[in-house]
Amino acid sequence: MRLLRGIYEGPGSHGILRVVASMHDVWAVLRALPSEGYFQALHGAWTRSGEPAPVSVSPVWEKSAGSREPGDVDRDLAAVVRRHPRTEAVVLARSEAALLAGEPTPVVTLPENETGRSPELVTCEWERVGMGEAEASDLALADIVRAHARPAEKSATPTVNVFGPPVFGPGAEAEYDEVERMLSLLGIEVNARVPLGASAAHLRRLPRAWANVLLYRETGDAATLYLQDKFGTPRVTTPMIGAASTGAVLRSIGELCGLDQGKARRAVWSELATTAKLPWYARLQPPETFRGRRVAIFGDFTYTLGLGYALAREVGLEVGACGTYLTHLERDFLFHASTFTDEAFVADDPERVADRLKNSEPDLLIGTYFEEEIADSLGIPFLPFCPPVLRHPFVQQPLMGYRGSSLLADALEDALRRPKQERSEEENAPPTGLPWTDEALDDLEEIPAFLRGRTRRLAEERARAVRSGEVTRKILESSRD
Amino acid sequence: MTILNESGVPDVLSPLAAARSLPARLPGALVMIVGTRTEAYLAQTLSAALSPDAARDPLHYMILDTDKPPEQGQMASRVIETCAGVSNLRIVFLISGRSAEMMSVDVRFEARVAARRLELPVMVLDPDPDPRSRSCLSTSLEDRALAALVEVCRESAPDRKPASVPASKRGGFLGGFLGRDRAPDSGVRRSPVVLLGTSRGAAVDLSADLRRVGVEVSGSVPAIEPSSGSVAGEMPPIGEGTVVAPLDPHLTAACRTAEGRGAKVVRTLSPIGVDGTARFIQDVAAAVGISVSEMGRAREAWESLDPLRNRIRGKRVFLAGDTGFELALARFLADAGALVIEVGTPRLERRAMSSDLHSLGAGVDVVESPDGWGQIGRIDAARPDVVICSQGLYIPLVSRGHLCRTSLDLRRIGIHGYEGARRVLDLLVQTFERAEALDALDL
Repeated sequence: MRLLRGIYEGPGSHGILRVVASMHDVWAVLRALPSEGYFQALHGAWTRSGEPAPVSVSPVWEKSAGSREPGDVDRDLAAVVRRHPRTEAVVLARSEAALLAGEPTPVVTLPENETGRSPELVTCEWERVGMGEAEASDLALADIVRAHARPAEKSATPTVNVFGPPVFGPGAEAEYDEVERMLSLLGIEVNARVPLGASAAHLRRLPRAWANVLLYRETGDAATLYLQDKFGTPRVTTPMIGAASTGAVLRSIGELCGLDQGKARRAVWSELATTAKLPWYARLQPPETFRGRRVAIFGDFTYTLGLGYALAREVGLEVGACGTYLTHLERDFLFHASTFTDEAFVADDPERVADRLKNSEPDLLIGTYFEEEIADSLGIPFLPFCPPVLRHPFVQQPLMGYRGSSLLADALEDALRRPKQERSEEENAPPTGLPWTDEALDDLEEIPAFLRGRTRRLAEERARAVRSGEVTRKILESSRD
Repeated sequence: MTILNESGVPDVLSPLAAARSLPARLPGALVMIVGTRTEAYLAQTLSAALSPDAARDPLHYMILDTDKPPEQGQMASRVIETCAGVSNLRIVFLISGRSAEMMSVDVRFEARVAARRLELPVMVLDPDPDPRSRSCLSTSLEDRALAALVEVCRESAPDRKPASVPASKRGGFLGGFLGRDRAPDSGVRRSPVVLLGTSRGAAVDLSADLRRVGVEVSGSVPAIEPSSGSVAGEMPPIGEGTVVAPLDPHLTAACRTAEGRGAKVVRTLSPIGVDGTARFIQDVAAAVGISVSEMGRAREAWESLDPLRNRIRGKRVFLAGDTGFELALARFLADAGALVIEVGTPRLERRAMSSDLHSLGAGVDVVESPDGWGQIGRIDAARPDVVICSQGLYIPLVSRGHLCRTSLDLRRIGIHGYEGARRVLDLLVQTFERAEALDALDL
């Protein structure tokens, strides 16, 4: 039992639905209570594509004997194929309530679709209560790939598969576009984009590619590992954020595709001269812009680490704290993050995250939509670069690749334009520096431990605001209203 | 009128989406979701995605672990600890549905323990539909919250002679108002009327209308003007002799709870639209023994709506249905001259909705448990002038060229009472005007 003020990740079923809703010809049946319908509304609000999500609900409810109404999972799975005859795969996702109800995995033969084949059925048997969205999306994509990928000759000219973020990822489509643009400079074609925009035909021809470019490890790790083990397709896994990492990825791809080194180098140079502005920004700015300035980053795995590397190495900011909420990737995250910060952490409780980030005394905060409030309270700039995000603009911008590096440069320029403000003596006092009266301390003791940090902070802020030298019981009370 | 049960899966937004608005509507309420990650995610994300202007997350989430179910009393202790960090707390809602039950966690027991120790009402709200009615409405959680508030109300007033209470001592806006308005010689003891509804504006408007015809409104649930006292203290007593008037037809759980306490629930048209409001006022007055005719007021209201009606007349309307007020709204739109093609309702509570059903025109099809996908097909075939639908159908329908408004849009403007009727027509007229302006553009 955990008490939280917010959750970063949705349930496993949400991860599966995100993967399915990214693709064509694949349909998901969400087995859930009638009160758990939400995906169409969220999909509509966030993608604004106009297309309904390929998701239907199979409600868990008491059915009268012999009734043909929805609610029978076998029949609901088959109904998808009859209603949507182009479907080539049906994926079953179960909400946690459905999992708790303990239904057996359905064994059903789906009717034939319009091509005369029975669609693949992916039942996601590994789903369990408490599993997070990212882990489930990874496993679901691997299952869908496994169901479709067929041995094939490598393509005559070099091609790669791009494994990127699923739908709802910030700027997801723009990330794929940017990578495809850069690959075209090397003369490499994209064999398939997975999962966003992939059709069953794309999935079947995945093994034709010479390499897999893993942009978003959260969702593509297991699938690319499967393709590596089964078909020997090598993968490139460096997060493509910042000019240095992008260059490294392009060189690796060039090598895997047998390009001569000169070609990759020329492409990189040409991009550095024209498109990639982050290195140029870092050179143009006087060193004082960055000296002693600390950034705190919190989010998923890819964006957080990618930004950490780029800001620490290419820009020269000090990464005061870097964390992720993806607890299932804890070991890998800490390993990578330790290369650029001493303050790497894994936490999925927004209160704890807030404490860690605030204690690092950052000058700039990059995070998910949860962290915006922290930046507001510290009065520092905030960049919402890590998922989950609430804003889904019509015009998407990449953060990966060379164009992404320029976007990052622009954002940094805005955020760091004001010279570092030397904190006044009052502000310079350590956050716990104000004395507390005994009475106020007694009251603080009564507040549960997990809320105490926040309460202490608010009370001290309040005391400073009213120019009191100490935190009294009255100030503590008023800060909690 | 034909009623067809399509036995489909309607597109209904999870009632959990309303969880975040509870603390805003009920100041002094702490809301905690008790259950799985799914429930927490829906409560948190849906309202953040659909109403980004909503207040920063005011909810608390207690995520249960299947491997380690909490020991008895442990959850109550955590609730108490959380409450210790909040000042001016007056009521605690634990939103907990089937998942906690399936994990064998007795949330109601924990709520009772916490309530005893906190000396505050701690109420459990179940967002899942009752297994008998199965289909749920996006407004189910609000219904359950009102039911919980009814439970918290005092059973009866300590002193039923209102004239003996000085106006200055009666709490809140209504108290003062009633004190002033009451005729000194009204010695007749009448049943106090309590309005039940989620919209504060509706309660204010309709209590003014009822007072105009001489009906004593003892208050509303939730209270119109919450004070800093206890929740029970500011809400009117509900018990034997109270007449409860629900403002919405979908408040079935709240009405059942009131009836369980011996209160009389007025079954009449919902106060949506001109005739609905008039009948509501007449029937509520009749329930407390006052005979009034709202004919004149209704005629005036219709006359003032004439310019708007002219724009609505003949327009073909399709109501897909997710909140439960669609029947009443369809009835009003038909009266205003629109042609209602279909009214979908995920759940048809015949008893609560019988008056609204009977007053629907003959040519209207009511579809119970409509299938969301089936509705898209029917809308494509019928090409209505406007569709009133759930959030999930909105964008797909707009992309197919249909003019749409969501039920959430209507709830935001407030559809109750005579003024609500104007706002509904106005919203539709504006929708048509905007569509015409956009269609006229040469893109």
